[in-house]
Amino acid sequence: MLEASGITVRYGRQVALDDASLTIEPGVVTGLAGPSGCGKSTLARVLALMLRPRSGTLTVDGDPVLRWRQRAPRELRTRVALIYQQPRLAVDPRLTLADVIREPLTANGRPDDGRVAELAGEAGLTGDLLTRRPHEVSDGQLQRACVARALTLEPRYLICDEMTTMLDASTQAHLVRLVNAYRERTGAGVLAISHDTILLNRWADKTVDLFDPADQKQP
Amino acid sequence: MRIATWTLAVLALAVLVLPPIVQLDQSLVDLRSAGQPPSFAHPFGTDEVGRDVLLRSVYGLRVSFLVGLVAALVSMVIGGAIGLAAGSLGGLPDRLLMRVVDGFNALPHLLFGIFIVALFAPSAAAVVVSVGVTHWTTAARIVRSEVLSLRTRPFVEAAVSGGAGRMRVVRRHLLPHLLPHLVLATVLMVPHAIWHETALSFLGLGLPPHLASLGNMINDGQRSLLTGDWWSSLVPGLFILAPTLAISVLAQRWRDRSSPRWRSELEL
Amino acid sequence: MTDRNLLRVEGLSVSFAIPAARVRAVSEASFEVRPGRCLALVGESGCGKSVLAHALLGLLPGNATVSGEAWLKQSGAEPVELIGASQQVLARRVRGRAIGLIPQSPATHLTPVRTARAQLQEAINELGSSARADDLAERYGLRPADLDRYPHELSGGMAQRVANAIALAGDPWLVLADEPTSGLDQPLVDRAMGTLRELCDEGRAVLLITHDLRAAERVADDLAVMYASRLVETGPAAGVLGQPRHPYTAGLVAAQPDRDFVPIPGLPPELTRLPEGCAFRPRCGHATERCAESPPMDGGVACHHTLASPDLARAPEIAKESHA
Repeated sequence: MLEASGITVRYGRQVALDDASLTIEPGVVTGLAGPSGCGKSTLARVLALMLRPRSGTLTVDGDPVLRWRQRAPRELRTRVALIYQQPRLAVDPRLTLADVIREPLTANGRPDDGRVAELAGEAGLTGDLLTRRPHEVSDGQLQRACVARALTLEPRYLICDEMTTMLDASTQAHLVRLVNAYRERTGAGVLAISHDTILLNRWADKTVDLFDPADQKQP
Repeated sequence: MRIATWTLAVLALAVLVLPPIVQLDQSLVDLRSAGQPPSFAHPFGTDEVGRDVLLRSVYGLRVSFLVGLVAALVSMVIGGAIGLAAGSLGGLPDRLLMRVVDGFNALPHLLFGIFIVALFAPSAAAVVVSVGVTHWTTAARIVRSEVLSLRTRPFVEAAVSGGAGRMRVVRRHLLPHLLPHLVLATVLMVPHAIWHETALSFLGLGLPPHLASLGNMINDGQRSLLTGDWWSSLVPGLFILAPTLAISVLAQRWRDRSSPRWRSELEL
Repeated sequence: MTDRNLLRVEGLSVSFAIPAARVRAVSEASFEVRPGRCLALVGESGCGKSVLAHALLGLLPGNATVSGEAWLKQSGAEPVELIGASQQVLARRVRGRAIGLIPQSPATHLTPVRTARAQLQEAINELGSSARADDLAERYGLRPADLDRYPHELSGGMAQRVANAIALAGDPWLVLADEPTSGLDQPLVDRAMGTLRELCDEGRAVLLITHDLRAAERVADDLAVMYASRLVETGPAAGVLGQPRHPYTAGLVAAQPDRDFVPIPGLPPELTRLPEGCAFRPRCGHATERCAESPPMDGGVACHHTLASPDLARAPEIAKESHA
């Protein structure tokens, strides 16, 4: 379980997130809805250990998170992967798509063993595209690479922050399928963050609302 | 813009081509032709011991430029490393390093430079050290602010989340984005470093007096000013002014074109 | 706004020269936009729909080659042919005056160092409009006080309304909205679509460019579906989405989360090397040898195997056979 409780985040005097609690169970797609500016993306970064909250606790499979970002143990932070809304901002513009997908492997000193090709294939990226740089592919193709990258290290939890908002219906369906197949194969927990309630109704096993007090008190 | 380009081109050509072709000893003392005004044989006259001012200025520019470039590189390496460390470590190390930067900024550069040079005998190395040690703070600030904005960018975050260590993030994601800024800052620093070199030399604290540096020449020439030999210090002075202005103009133009965002940060 | 206003695009093609290749971004697009109606141009990212919009405003980069015609007919004025028009004509007669552009992300479209009022007033002055900034603001749901804020002090919705006010400062009869919903959440999408609908109901024409079928469905009267630089299906929105006749449209509709939620297999082709014939052929379950030949736009569909509506589908085929 990925459990966040009583998370509060402030930027200066501005409160971005006030006492939010959320649990992501393994093998389950949890949907998170809510209007923009309510702190969904902030919570996503906290859950991925990328933002240190002012107060509150986060545990990953029972291990409490005490340090954040690069100070967090590598093994702990690679257990949670984050997929961003805008793929253009989420990849280094100098890397080819293959490098983007391979990045987590090389960062952890692991061999490729055909994993990059396999993941790219699942994401629907064919050979030639993998040698391109981000500015030479469409948003949809880039987001496919981002999803493949997120799955490279087989994370236990996957945070999808408005993953398909910029994409057409067909690419959306493909990426959701990819994430679902991964979840079924590995039993990973998924948090699907979206403003699109129709999408969440279809994708998520259960949906929580950050503003609904009943959800806050979930055990 | 065009004037700047031509000035630099002509000077670069002179500095690179003239010394090997003109097999004249620029330090040749010829007391018979001392203190001659500009003439056909000596287009910019001779100095008080009869050395050709034009030839010596060209050699002087060569020395000054080299010292300026090395000094700028030294300050960029120091500043870049400290800015990178402050920006990517954050927290307490960041605060401590930035206080050090503030401290160095509070020191009067020239005085501190004189203090450092005074510890050594006059030499090119001493000048490089004194300029490098006093001028790295700009680079540190620029690099730190850029690192701070880069490190919360999603693509850097994604690398960290994927398990990339500190060194890897710096090497693979931060440095390649910082490099253009650093190169530009170095180029902009060169004229400044030349000015400091000449100022120190003028005060007699910089390069050894026998070396034809522009600062030394002005220093020598100021004595001749009293006797009306205006050319022996004016010409080296112009040789400082022209290339430094030209470099600034070109570098700023290039910077404005490549990233308008940077316009405000380097304009001091 | 009389019904004599009209935008008619005929055989519009746009291509870009890039090193060692040619990008075909728009191929022979033809459509009409009329006052009081909203035409949504839908397609996935990279299909060329944004390029089409930019071509109409003469905002393409220098390496673009454009052919075809786009006639802007206006009551009480000479018609303007947009493709061949000079920048001067476009600036004086078209941009902001006849066609208003609602940008992709209003928050980044506004200059961060000037207040909303300064930017709106600039647009008004530039267009020589008689409108007052406060009136425009109130008309598009802003308090006059909001105009005195800087862009970073505006919420996403307010920035959008400022952008709307700027786009409409010159009272254009045609509004071009390029992905106005990207990155907005549902209430803001709803509001943006509501605004577009109101503009239509005021008698303006709206050309909406979007990847979001559901947003298009809510506001559009007519729909044009674009795939790999080509319009593949056009018609009344309800008809196109309710009973799609092109396999690509059918695939897109079925991929929606409230339908089958099944992706179309494969990826769209590169615009640098579009396949011969129908560009959708490699991904299409209905493809046959005939599809090696480019299908003409016929009765609103460009497909040799038009779906769902047998009479229409067969009509051209029979005609051809009997002709042979």
